[in-house]
Parts: sequence; C-alpha cells; structure tokens
Amino acid sequence: MSKALILLHEKALRLSHPVFKVAPKDSQAIFIWDDDYFRKVNYSLKRLVFLYETLCELPIQLFRGATVEVVRTLQPSGLFIPETNHPIIQSLIAELQTFVPVVIVPEEAFVELEQDLDPRRFFQYWGKIKNRTSQKNGK
Amino acid sequence: MTQLPRQFSTRQELIEFVKKLAPWALGDPSPIHGGRLAAEERLLKIDPIAYGRTRNYGDGKVTRLSPYIHHGIVSLNEVRNRAIELSEDPSRIEKFLQELAWRDFWQMVLTQHPEWAWQDAEPYKTGFEPSDYADDLPEDIREGKTGVACLDAFIDELITTGYIHNHARMYLASYVVHFRRIKWQAGASWFLHHLLDGDVASNNFSWQWVASTFSSKPYIFNLENVHRYFGNLVDTSPERNKILDASYEELHQRLFPNLQGKE
Repeated sequence: MSKALILLHEKALRLSHPVFKVAPKDSQAIFIWDDDYFRKVNYSLKRLVFLYETLCELPIQLFRGATVEVVRTLQPSGLFIPETNHPIIQSLIAELQTFVPVVIVPEEAFVELEQDLDPRRFFQYWGKIKNRTSQKNGK
Repeated sequence: MTQLPRQFSTRQELIEFVKKLAPWALGDPSPIHGGRLAAEERLLKIDPIAYGRTRNYGDGKVTRLSPYIHHGIVSLNEVRNRAIELSEDPSRIEKFLQELAWRDFWQMVLTQHPEWAWQDAEPYKTGFEPSDYADDLPEDIREGKTGVACLDAFIDELITTGYIHNHARMYLASYVVHFRRIKWQAGASWFLHHLLDGDVASNNFSWQWVASTFSSKPYIFNLENVHRYFGNLVDTSPERNKILDASYEELHQRLFPNLQGKE
C-alpha cells in the first residue's frame, strides 16, 4: 500500500488550500485529466488551456485516465480531497469512497457561519454576514 | 493511465498539446492566461474603492479575478483580505465585499440545494409557464449573429476571450430568456461552455435570477441602459439595436403580455 495522496480537482488549484495542511506532509498531490469528465462538462478549448496552464505551475503529478481507474492503479492508503459542491466531482468522490478512505477538506471560509442560513434571498444572508465580511479571515 | 507533461517551452506548444489531448474541444484559446502568477498580478492591481463607483460600466474597475477564484487559484478569503488592506473604512469597499459575498452565497445555495442547479428553483414570474420557453439555443445567438449590434459584440467577446463583464452577462441572459423566450438552462449551459470562470453555482443561479425563477421579478434592460454603461465600447446606435430601443414600460408590455393588468 502506498502513501496517502492529495487529489486536486478543477476548483482547488493552489498550494495554500487547507488540504495541504491537513494531509500528511509527505503526501503527493495529483490531478487526473479525466476525458470523460471534460466531455460531460463540455468545456471549450479556452477553458481546457486555462486549466492546463494552471496545472503546469503546480508541483503535482498529472495523470490522464478515468479518475476511479487511476486511483485504483495508484493504490493510495487514503485520499485527501478539497471539498466541492460540483455535482459530477461529488459523484466521482462517492465512487472513490467505496474502496479507499477519503478525507474531504473544506475551503477557507469567506465568513464563519454558526448556522445554515435560508438560501432563498441574498439580502437576508448579507444582513447577517455584512459586518464580518470586512474582518480579516471573516471572523 | 499515462503521466502528462507539465513543462513546455512556449504557450503555443502547450496549446497544441491540449488540442491533441482534447480534439473534440471547440474554439480557440483565450488570451487570458491561467496560473497563480497571473492571478497574483491581478490581485495586486485590484481597486476595491473605485470598484464601488464604476463596477457597472464596461470599462469600470472590475478585478477580472473570477477565472482564478473559480479554479481555487485564489480564495475569496484571500481577495477579501487584500481588499481590506487597501481601505481602513469598510463602508468604502462595501460593494466590493458584497460581490464576493454573492459568490459565497451562490456556493451555499448549491450545497444546500443541488437540485436547483438545473431545475427551476421557483415558478417564472413572467406570466408564462416553463413549457412556453424553447429548449435549445438558436444558432444566431450561439454564433453572435442576432442582428442586435451590442449583443453580438458581447457574444463575440465571450467566444473569443471566455470572459465578459457581469453587466453584459445580465443583458445576454435577459435577451435569451425574455426577448427570445428560451429556457434559462440553454443559456446557462452555453455560458458554462465558454466562460473561464463558468461555475455551476454562480452561473446557473444568476441565470435563474434574471429569469425570475430565483427572484421576485424578471430582469429586463433597454438600449438606453446599454448605452449608458457600454456606449463607448459597443455600437449602441438605435438603427442597429432596434429590438432594445424602447422604454421599460413598452418592453414590459411587449415581453410579458400575460402580466398586463395583473400587477
């Protein structure tokens, strides 16, 4: 069994993401260029080039293949994955969780919320968080 | 499984590689570069005070950081922390902070209600049923050949760069849904294809906000509004933008005939 891996996805591409603090220090970060995923989201060449340029600046290993198959081949002891609400990435993570331990690491909060707020109208939310938005780290 | 290269001698070499990797991907690359270095350059240049005064204008002091925020190359927290360094008085950067909060809000909504990503969150408030709207985006819109000069210019920029000003996004969304009566989902999918910052939460809920399926009324605009905010950037002559050249009252009657006398 190999070491744990950090599995990055298109919404968490920076070294200061909390996933790098939570994962063991010797964890290798990887990104999987999954053709099936990109066909599903139907991105233009513009988007793919922008993404690939971003990946080139990161000290990661870049694999091409089906996400689940690549992870099976690498046989990590665990996966550390940045939290996402992207429906397709979430379904891929659910598949991974069937055969490897997965730790989901949340993004830095914009404001720290003590409770879920009514997601109907923005200005109710704004009224509750406004003062904290002008504080460092939203606290 | 193969390992992919991360070093190229030129941007063109990288582009050619990505074309081979995804031969099905349409279009040309954007002049906007990805990566943390490009993001940091933009972060250093933000002007959150001027943003509040000028953000609605096509040449206003918007940050163009959204492609980098979408990819997590910079976090909302990092952008906020940079903004508050630049103003001791939070009231001077309130609009800027509010725009960041919109993005955070949309993310929260998608997390709590993933089903709203592609379904109407609420009924349309336009006097029409969902079945009154067409499913597909016509070619003239997709290609920027609507015959409405200012909108064709925005579409051309969308296709060429993968980025357009938020106000232009609202105009296009309103045109698609209300002037052409096409389902917001068709437009949202079109934007996600092109926009470098295309994000299911921010994009789709903004389309729903314009459509009125996530707001209390439909968003509409007229030529006078485009002229005010983009008049020095795109052709806003009445003869080349006829469909938009009307008062709000006239447009409301034309676009929402079933609502007349009911409000």
